[in-house]
Amino acid sequence: MSTQQAAKPVLQVEHLSTCFKTDQGVVTAIDDVSFELFAGETLGIVGESGSGKTVTSKSIMRLLSEHLSFQKEGSVVRFEGKNLVTATEDEMREVRGARIAMIFQEPMTSLNPVFTVGWQLDEALKYHTKLDRTERKQRAIEMLELVEMPNAKRRFDEYPHQLSGGMRQRVMIAMALCCEPDILIADEPTTALDVTIQAQILRLMDELKSKLNTAIMLITHDLGVVAQTCDRVLVMYAGRVVEAAPIAQLFDAPRHPYTKALLGSIPKSGRREHGKRLPTIEGLVPSLFDLPPGCRFAARCAYRDDHCDAVEPDLTPAGPQREVRCHYPLEAPEAN
Amino acid sequence: MAKFMQQRGVRKLLKDRLAVSSMWVIGAYLTVAFAVLLGNSFSGGALKAETELRIGADNVPGAWTSQTAEERLRDATFYFDNIKKASRSSDPASAYAALEWGSDRLPAWKADRIEAELIAPAAELSTALEVHDELEGNIEALALLQQFEAVIRGHIGASHDADGNASRSFGQSFRMLLGTDRQGRSILVRAIYSTKVAVQIGIISALISVLIGTILGAAAGYFGGIVDVIVVWLYSTFSSIPWIVLLMVLASAFRGTELDGTLIPVYVAFCMSFWISPCRVVRGEVMKLKELEYVQAASAIGFSRTRILFKHVIPNTAHLMFINFSLLFIGAIKAEVILSFLGLGVKHEPSWGVMINHAKAEVLNGFFWQIGTATIFMVILVLAFNTLSDALQDAFDPKHI
Repeated sequence: MSTQQAAKPVLQVEHLSTCFKTDQGVVTAIDDVSFELFAGETLGIVGESGSGKTVTSKSIMRLLSEHLSFQKEGSVVRFEGKNLVTATEDEMREVRGARIAMIFQEPMTSLNPVFTVGWQLDEALKYHTKLDRTERKQRAIEMLELVEMPNAKRRFDEYPHQLSGGMRQRVMIAMALCCEPDILIADEPTTALDVTIQAQILRLMDELKSKLNTAIMLITHDLGVVAQTCDRVLVMYAGRVVEAAPIAQLFDAPRHPYTKALLGSIPKSGRREHGKRLPTIEGLVPSLFDLPPGCRFAARCAYRDDHCDAVEPDLTPAGPQREVRCHYPLEAPEAN
Repeated sequence: MAKFMQQRGVRKLLKDRLAVSSMWVIGAYLTVAFAVLLGNSFSGGALKAETELRIGADNVPGAWTSQTAEERLRDATFYFDNIKKASRSSDPASAYAALEWGSDRLPAWKADRIEAELIAPAAELSTALEVHDELEGNIEALALLQQFEAVIRGHIGASHDADGNASRSFGQSFRMLLGTDRQGRSILVRAIYSTKVAVQIGIISALISVLIGTILGAAAGYFGGIVDVIVVWLYSTFSSIPWIVLLMVLASAFRGTELDGTLIPVYVAFCMSFWISPCRVVRGEVMKLKELEYVQAASAIGFSRTRILFKHVIPNTAHLMFINFSLLFIGAIKAEVILSFLGLGVKHEPSWGVMINHAKAEVLNGFFWQIGTATIFMVILVLAFNTLSDALQDAFDPKHI
């Protein structure tokens, strides 16, 4: 867990706003998202369903349908001096897979059911590298061994349905890492796995990160996963970044009421309080079609006043590497 | 291949006894079809000539009966031409013997007798026809024709025994197994030969239609937008034309061109109307598939859209391609029969449709074996394919696995 990053970020996201065209009109799914990603760090993006975590990652990769979505003027995703938002499709293809790779939530459907694992790995290598047949096969098996796939040589010729969920996710990670990308975007990589496998996969990703010096963007709604693996965290709510902080500070001293409420709603083991309900956040995330003029969390916030309903707060610096979007950020119990 | 055989769908298919037996039946048909195709091309069309061979004599049901004056003249001319050719060859005796409906009395004929009894009346007959072109109502020509027929009949019935049954070699017995048509041609030989035409039309039209349909449907489903609009417009337009009308129009549009008489107009007509159903099904499937994560994962790896479509999406519609192929295969065979029955399909060679068409008048007179044979040959193949495509559906539909 290094809080000391290299000075130069590998990825800079500035004012990224993605809108969808729907039957009810244009809806802004993520609004003015900005963050930086440094080599060798793990950045967690947390938030409820619909808070825009996945849209953020897919906007970076430009995987959203161009018929249905667009980025607002001024959105910048800077990667190696290029703005990926305005890059051509050919330039994007150079980036995808080779420089920025992605793994998905559902390992059951992330692999093509009609081809063998080896074929799929080979296909990715064929596309991005100049290796010949035997070298590719060797590399694919190496990758499978790297992700600790038991019996890699045999698995190479097997179909996805012959593998368990955890093994499939290992294959996905092998595919994502086979071209040694600079950035790995993991969109809820462990949500569909059971807890022991989840721990294995997270440990694997952490090891690979330090081995290959890859930056990881880990999208999850599980704060436990974040605590285990991330260096920094971005908390999203209704399409906005509400708080950004290094991991320890976020868990010790959340500054945004939403973060605090989220942390408060984690069930704690060992402390059994009979007859007491688990704390929850009352109310619902506002509909993106009908956003309040003021703070988006105001309706569910314990600390709100009229100012919160009227004016939306900006994301303001709140200490080293910390930002918070609140008019009345919570005070840290001890000074930073 | 071993990998393929291990797959669950294939295992399930092989366990289905009905499916396996229909595969055997289809295999038999395919073998016959390819044997005919190869045999025909290696022998320079000898098998095709075989189907035109007259083996029937006058005691063979269907021959020499219930014919119009035109057809009687055609038959008489056929026999006459053959006898004349034989008489003028360098070795008349063996030429007579080589005539398949051969008569052992013919070789005894001297050239002058043939001149007197056959060639002279024939000349008279053609003179009479020149004077009055129409045969129907041309009393003089009809009388001459009858006389002429009597001479020919007197000789070609010669190999029959006392009961009127012909004594035949094995080859002849085989040809006679299901009788002959009115022109005295072996029904069995023609029905077997027709297998080649049916399988040829079935495979070629189904293959092309499935390919076109799959590619267009997949492109429409995957790219969406304007591509989708165009493809949907195309298939809605084509499907609003009743296919039989389209087939008839196309078949007659090729009339008089150099493609007339070949099977190409039939293929074009079938492919134009048959690509719609695979296209529709594949489009729907691809619309579903493209939202799946492995397709997104493929674009996250950086593959181009065309590559994803052809290498990652279309292989996942293989089960639909199989099922549609088998449906269209029988569809094409049935359509060929209908088209040939209408006189728009196969020409210059026998097919089941042509046979059924020829059998129209025979059936009215109680001679059912031509229509029966053609129908049974077709029904067995169609039934086997229907059974197989049901079994394919059961075995490969992922929802049932």
